[in-house]
Amino acid sequence: MIQISSLTHTYPASRKQAPRKALDDLTLSVGEGEFAILSGPNGSGKSTLFRILCGLALPSSGAVTIGGFDLFKQPAEVRRILGVVFQNPAVDKHLSVAENLRLHADLYGIKGDEFARRRDEALGWTDLADRLDQKVETLSGGLARQVELAKVLMTRPKVLLLDEPTTGLDPASRRNFLDALLRLQRQWKMTVLMTSHVFSEAEDVDRVAIMREGKLLAYDSPQALKAMIGTEMVVVQPIGDAEELAVSLRAELGLAVRRHGDELRLEETENGAGLPMLEGILDRWRGQIKSISIKQPDLEDVFVHVTGKAVPEHATHKAEAR
Amino acid sequence: MLSVALSLAKREFVRFVRQPQRVIGAVAQPLMFWLFLGAGMGTSFRPAGLAQTSYLEYFYPGVMVMMLLFASVFACITIIEDRDAGFLQGVLVAPVSRMGIVLGKVFGATAIALVQVLLFTAAAPFLGLHLTLFGLVLLLLGFVLTSIGFAGLGFLLAWGMKSTSGFHAIMMVFLMPLWMLSGALFPISGAPGWMNVVMLVNPVFHALEIIRAPFYGDGVALLGQSGYLTSLAVVIAWAGLSLLGSMKRVGKREQGV
Repeated sequence: MIQISSLTHTYPASRKQAPRKALDDLTLSVGEGEFAILSGPNGSGKSTLFRILCGLALPSSGAVTIGGFDLFKQPAEVRRILGVVFQNPAVDKHLSVAENLRLHADLYGIKGDEFARRRDEALGWTDLADRLDQKVETLSGGLARQVELAKVLMTRPKVLLLDEPTTGLDPASRRNFLDALLRLQRQWKMTVLMTSHVFSEAEDVDRVAIMREGKLLAYDSPQALKAMIGTEMVVVQPIGDAEELAVSLRAELGLAVRRHGDELRLEETENGAGLPMLEGILDRWRGQIKSISIKQPDLEDVFVHVTGKAVPEHATHKAEAR
Repeated sequence: MLSVALSLAKREFVRFVRQPQRVIGAVAQPLMFWLFLGAGMGTSFRPAGLAQTSYLEYFYPGVMVMMLLFASVFACITIIEDRDAGFLQGVLVAPVSRMGIVLGKVFGATAIALVQVLLFTAAAPFLGLHLTLFGLVLLLLGFVLTSIGFAGLGFLLAWGMKSTSGFHAIMMVFLMPLWMLSGALFPISGAPGWMNVVMLVNPVFHALEIIRAPFYGDGVALLGQSGYLTSLAVVIAWAGLSLLGSMKRVGKREQGV
């Protein structure tokens, strides 16, 4: 449904900046009815890709087709099947919920009974029913986001693009938003591409793409991605110098030890091998270890593994959201 | 395209009337300009050939053009606000013609401008100015075209701007002078030669001509005057070109190198 081939985008040089390559020969496709999440550290090119996909920018080279239409040659056709939820609100906060929905329907040529039907359907899952006459600026962040999603769903997009739609929401609202989105996506068989670096959001989706410096580093189902780094991993927090311990672990155990901040990670551990390894490490290095644990890798660990970077700070809602 | 433009224009109008300060400012400011300048300049204003005309009366159509300028241009500032607030991106990704987006803003601006200037037109009888019915139609045409011209120009200028303060600067050094050199404040006959030339190529001068004329001539007869028709053509061209330019600007997507 979404085909991105060899997409390269370089921002022109400005007075203070050299030209900057934001996307580097990126190829990726999302099948019909699939829910894909696009993640990557800040500056990895997610936002640039998003701007291009929703037709607001033209790349330096490469091709994109959405629903079989060439995005760069047939933007009008693509717009007709596309729904976009931006990170910043795209509703008029001085207008009421009902007025915003009406205006959006007008833009998409939805009129009369059809409008009433679609509006009710799009509002069905929200908590907005008794707030239709309230101005959007008086709504809470979570409800305002619901307006955003409801308005986009009202047009029944075949392809839905979302750019970090849950930014700024508290964990409960975040969960509600995602649950509704996933349910409706399955129900209506929408193709969804959403940027996010909150990995708890990615566990239930079909595919997760991880980008860095404009390149695609990994793109697979959450299960397959997690399998990349084994079924168990041992995480060690050293007391003293992490590098020193890493060197000696590598030398004596012959294992790949990744240092990540103050942490040492022993990935790709066979199922059941974690515990004996933990015991072995404790026996030998107990004095240098503050804590040690075995865990099952989650997507955040995959992200760290693939990008070599920590998950950005504001993504730590993850733990609370569970 | 038209229905999209009307929906967007309706939003402009609704937002305008929901901000009472904007309404009060829009009506009071030109009124004060007119009364204070008109009264103050009254005895000093003695241009050749206009001995019978009070400054209050001379300045009257000029204030109308100023109202149209301010109303249209302030409406265009909302482009920058819409972009900042995020509303604009939602419109840009919608399946609407780019001209629809331009017209939505321009029609909204024109509607707001018309309400103000029509209220102000009610003062005409107190100045001893009378309009024939056809004259009123021509006057309305002048209002609408001028407003589209200003709004289109404002749109073009505001589209690429990041801050409203930048737009205010442009307004002061570019749009205000267009009005000052339109003959709104003083007649072209008294201006030095070089200024004469500038005024003649200034579309706002022609806008003022077609707004002033219906008060002083028979509506139908105006259509036979080459001066009036020339000015009308200039204003139509100005409105059309600024709309086309704006449409081009909206359709242009930022391009990687």
